[in-house]
Amino acid sequence: MKRSAQTPAILRGLRTLKVVVIHPQDQDGDELLAQLQRIGCDVEVFWPRLDCLPTGTELIVMAVRPETLSLSYPWLDHPACPPVIPVVAYENPTTIETVLQLNAFATIPSPVRSAGLLTAIALALHQSKASRLRERYIERLEQKQAKVRVIQQAKQIMMDSRGVSEEEAYQLLRSQAMLRREQIEAVAGEIVKAHERLSF
Amino acid sequence: MTSETSSNPLDPIKIGVLYSGSGVTSAVELTQLRATVLAVEELNRAGGVLGREIELVCLDPQCQPRHYASLAEQLILEHRVRVIIGCYMSSTRKAVIPIVERHNALLFYATPYEGFEYSRNVIYTGAAPNQNTLPLAGFMLTNFGSRVCMIGSDYVCPYESNRVMSDLILERGGEKVDETYLALDAPWESYLDAAKRIKQLAPDFIFSTVVGEGIAHLYRAFASVGLDPYRMPIASHMTCEADVAIMGSAVCEGHITSATYFQSLDTIANRAAVARYRARFGDELTTNMCWEAAYFQMYLLADAIRRVGSDDPTLLQRVLPGLEFDAPQGRVRIDEHNNHTYLHPLIGRVNAHGRFDIIGRAPDRVKADPYVVSHTTPPWTADVNPDLLRSRGDR
Repeated sequence: MKRSAQTPAILRGLRTLKVVVIHPQDQDGDELLAQLQRIGCDVEVFWPRLDCLPTGTELIVMAVRPETLSLSYPWLDHPACPPVIPVVAYENPTTIETVLQLNAFATIPSPVRSAGLLTAIALALHQSKASRLRERYIERLEQKQAKVRVIQQAKQIMMDSRGVSEEEAYQLLRSQAMLRREQIEAVAGEIVKAHERLSF
Repeated sequence: MTSETSSNPLDPIKIGVLYSGSGVTSAVELTQLRATVLAVEELNRAGGVLGREIELVCLDPQCQPRHYASLAEQLILEHRVRVIIGCYMSSTRKAVIPIVERHNALLFYATPYEGFEYSRNVIYTGAAPNQNTLPLAGFMLTNFGSRVCMIGSDYVCPYESNRVMSDLILERGGEKVDETYLALDAPWESYLDAAKRIKQLAPDFIFSTVVGEGIAHLYRAFASVGLDPYRMPIASHMTCEADVAIMGSAVCEGHITSATYFQSLDTIANRAAVARYRARFGDELTTNMCWEAAYFQMYLLADAIRRVGSDDPTLLQRVLPGLEFDAPQGRVRIDEHNNHTYLHPLIGRVNAHGRFDIIGRAPDRVKADPYVVSHTTPPWTADVNPDLLRSRGDR
């Protein structure tokens, strides 16, 4: 596998990474906190409740335990919620279901060891960024797809009603759009809507 | 197990040792072994620890990672050892860590390595990259320039050191002219080819992360193609007195090494330790950074055993962090949080007698920061060294 010329930005930013830990202060909690501090992250610990996420939080490390299953963390439903790394003590279906709901890209098994946390952090940050970019890309594709569809419909209507070719229909749409200083899909949308009104 | 080993208060305290007597890195490992023996003999002469002798159980892993793992387990299970001294290449340490963690034993590791590790079952007494690579990068980029050729042995530690160096070169607008990795057992011809290529490329300096027997090949190849170390030195954080002793000073003079110890260090503790070492093992022998770490870590271990009255790793883990010792390099301290050691970074250049002239030194001991990713070079390496300019002008 090829190495890049420079260290990835995600790793270079670890020393300023703002991490929220939701974990009780026990052996796992101590190990987690100590290792995050060795890595050099900016860490804040909460337990068990956290109603409001501190501003600027970039990563959440969270114990998934029977006692947290009934708690609700309202910020988890927010679309801009930072990535969550669950710390998993029980590997039963109930717990795993929770991990799936958290949309986690990496987990930390309990008992927590120092090794593994850094890779989990890098994975979670990298994959959540990649996933967000992918979602945005899909969103743009869907919008574009909708535009193409409405233009196609408008062309078809004009071809049928005026007996013009597809290319002529398109040029008509285009000149109308330029004349009215509107997007071509807006003009197409009006034509489709008007056509629907007429054809009841 | 603890009760068994400490049942008789007169029984010796057994400590396991895993240094290789043969294989690519055995030259330096043997110096670590002798340093360990020297320290133990000194401790025993002074009455031992807790009135008990320290007894070393030395096994030879022959530079093979799988042997390190199986012999570590053998030390723990058959020899009833709770503390192991040893390992050199990262692959050998990584092989032993699962064993010491499983049996809750303790490993003392006296070799510089690439960082990004912490185990509660390991005490790291060699330099982390911020204690050797960073000072070296700062010093070389300031004094020689930022067009750099990199040559290293093909394993994890060189990749990591080159990553750090590459980042720093790019930050300064420099250029990585070439990056070569050679197998640990690569023949002389490979080094000769590399030296010829480097001569063509004419970088400002060469950053070497070659370890073991390849070091001698590299420096000899460099000399044989007629490169001048005073103008275009090889800079390394691994090449040490043991390698110079193998190659001879004629080949090495002018090349630069970053380390936390050189034999030439003029401290009372160092002069005395070197004198005792030579008296015990022979006048012709040299010491080096790995030797020194192996030597002082034994004193830290003995102090810890004394404080807790046992060689039980669980108890030792409580007192080792924060422990200090007047080592040959100066006062060292095991960090409270990462099990690595505060050390004194130095820059040395090989002189005509095969010793390192110290041409740069950190004003204070430096805390090990094994997890730092984004590096900055230390301020003390930011000023041009007038001695270097003079020596270059003279020639």
